[in-house]
Amino acid sequence: MPSTSLPEESPPRPLLVGFNLRNVTVALVLGLLAALLIHPMFITPFPLLLARVLGVALLLLLVYVAAGRWADRWHPDWLPGGALQVLAVALSAPLVTLVVSLLAVGGDVSKFLDTPARMLGATIIAIASILLGLLISALAVLRERDAHARAQALQFALERSTLERQALDARLSLLQAQIEPHFLFNTLANVQALVEERSPRAPAVLKSLIGYLRAAMPRLHDGAPTLGNELALVRAYLELMQMRMPDRLCFGIDVDPALTATPLPAMTLLTLVENAVRHGIDPSEEGGRIDVGGVRAGDGTLHLWVSDTGVGMSPQAPQGTGLTNLRSRLQAFFGQGADLQLSERLPHGLRVDLTLPREGAA
Amino acid sequence: MSPPTAIVADDEPLLRERLVGQLARVWPELQIVAQARNGREALEAFDELQPAVVFLDVHMPGLNGIEAARGIARRAQVVFVTAYEQYAVQAFEQGAIDYLVKPVDVARLTDTVQRLQGRLAGGAPPDAGSALDGVLDRLAAELRRRGTPGTWLHWIKASSGASVKLIPVDQVVYLKSDEKYTLVVWSGGEALIRKTIRELADELDPDVFAQVHRSAIVNLRQVAQVVRGANETAELHLRDRTERLPVSRSFLHLFKQM
Repeated sequence: MPSTSLPEESPPRPLLVGFNLRNVTVALVLGLLAALLIHPMFITPFPLLLARVLGVALLLLLVYVAAGRWADRWHPDWLPGGALQVLAVALSAPLVTLVVSLLAVGGDVSKFLDTPARMLGATIIAIASILLGLLISALAVLRERDAHARAQALQFALERSTLERQALDARLSLLQAQIEPHFLFNTLANVQALVEERSPRAPAVLKSLIGYLRAAMPRLHDGAPTLGNELALVRAYLELMQMRMPDRLCFGIDVDPALTATPLPAMTLLTLVENAVRHGIDPSEEGGRIDVGGVRAGDGTLHLWVSDTGVGMSPQAPQGTGLTNLRSRLQAFFGQGADLQLSERLPHGLRVDLTLPREGAA
Repeated sequence: MSPPTAIVADDEPLLRERLVGQLARVWPELQIVAQARNGREALEAFDELQPAVVFLDVHMPGLNGIEAARGIARRAQVVFVTAYEQYAVQAFEQGAIDYLVKPVDVARLTDTVQRLQGRLAGGAPPDAGSALDGVLDRLAAELRRRGTPGTWLHWIKASSGASVKLIPVDQVVYLKSDEKYTLVVWSGGEALIRKTIRELADELDPDVFAQVHRSAIVNLRQVAQVVRGANETAELHLRDRTERLPVSRSFLHLFKQM
């Protein structure tokens, strides 16, 4: 059964989320400090002054959070969201102070206007709140931006480590034995036959076998594998197979010699050529031909192909581990830039086309 | 008494010739009346020449050695030759069936030849061991299992210009009917195919693909989330894609238990 999760549509975050305990505590502590600072200038009893200042601080925090929420959704290009928050706090500071001061006299405007001392007090609080509001909200914006940058850096690091792990997995899968015992013993039996009959072909065949084994053995410190190495390996393998089935296999390798130094993940072409022999040529009584080719396209991408005239592939044939591993190795090496396409050949056979970006991502 | 006759079948000519050469030294009277490159040729030669002994490589194209032996069906002494088919060697051991391991060792070949000579001289029916048929049946089934493709569709064929592309189904995101064609959307692009959604629904692995609408099949591994709509319907959001797929009422149960 499907195991898809069913996440809910995320509702808009409530305003209260920004109004968390930490923010409120900071606002209250800073308000207390401000009240202590300006207290000598006031005849108002300290508790009353404190209440007014804290009221202003909390209301400004509300403005800060609300402006931030609004800026998340939209802000003008010329004004970054953070600056918008700072500006909102500074502009609303006098208004908020006025509101709090009015509340302190029970909303009686004339009583407030008639008392110069109250006017002066409100002005002092307003100026203090503008200055402090500007300073603190600017600091808060910087802090948030810093936290955001750190979260992003963390995300990048996570993605990079995932990619590195994938590359490592791909390399590990290469380290597992690649040489099938069936292939090895059959080939050795052929070599033995040649040696026993003192065939002049024996030394050349042994050379191919050694070349193949050296390249196919697990290697821990792989220098930078190149297309040239890969073609030598492919040629050694095809020569061995041609010795074993001379009446059923012929092959051609036609790759632009200028490309031999091009970096290429190890076993890229060999995987495809082995598949062509194992699933294309070997099951066929008549056998067939394998062609390996490569050119550099005008835009710098590398185009490689392996094509056979074997029995072709059944649509029900599972994608083998060789091809699956090759896909993940290519992705680890080139990122999303690599493309591997299979197509049928007429009247029968299979063709694999690889398109690889100029530079490996790794 | 006429000299004993034999056929040697192996798709690899060097190995075939080598066995023929070794037999000439170990059993000079034996006449190799034919060599075969696959099971079909071996059976044809057997029917024509009726030799007393048949050497059959297990791994051959077309008809393999086991299948050829079933065709010969105890009308000759059969000796299997194998490189590394561990399962086959075990089966031969259990069934007391003659076999040789490549590269063939002369001492081992001599033992086999002596056993064969004894049986031919005594006029014993080929491989009186009644285990033979059962063992061959099991081996043939095993080989067929290894060689045959799976039950479900793994590749979708799509014509593209002159060539026919093979799209691996595990990279397919969804399939959607489009007039008389079906649109295949996969990581490598889009393609139109002639198979209908109904046919595809039967051929694709139900653990991976689900029909979610009369006209759509989705790869469940590509579904990012399911958003319920009004009227017992839902919409599928896909990984890394903006398009949405409708889920109709009759297929909603697929996503119910989550």
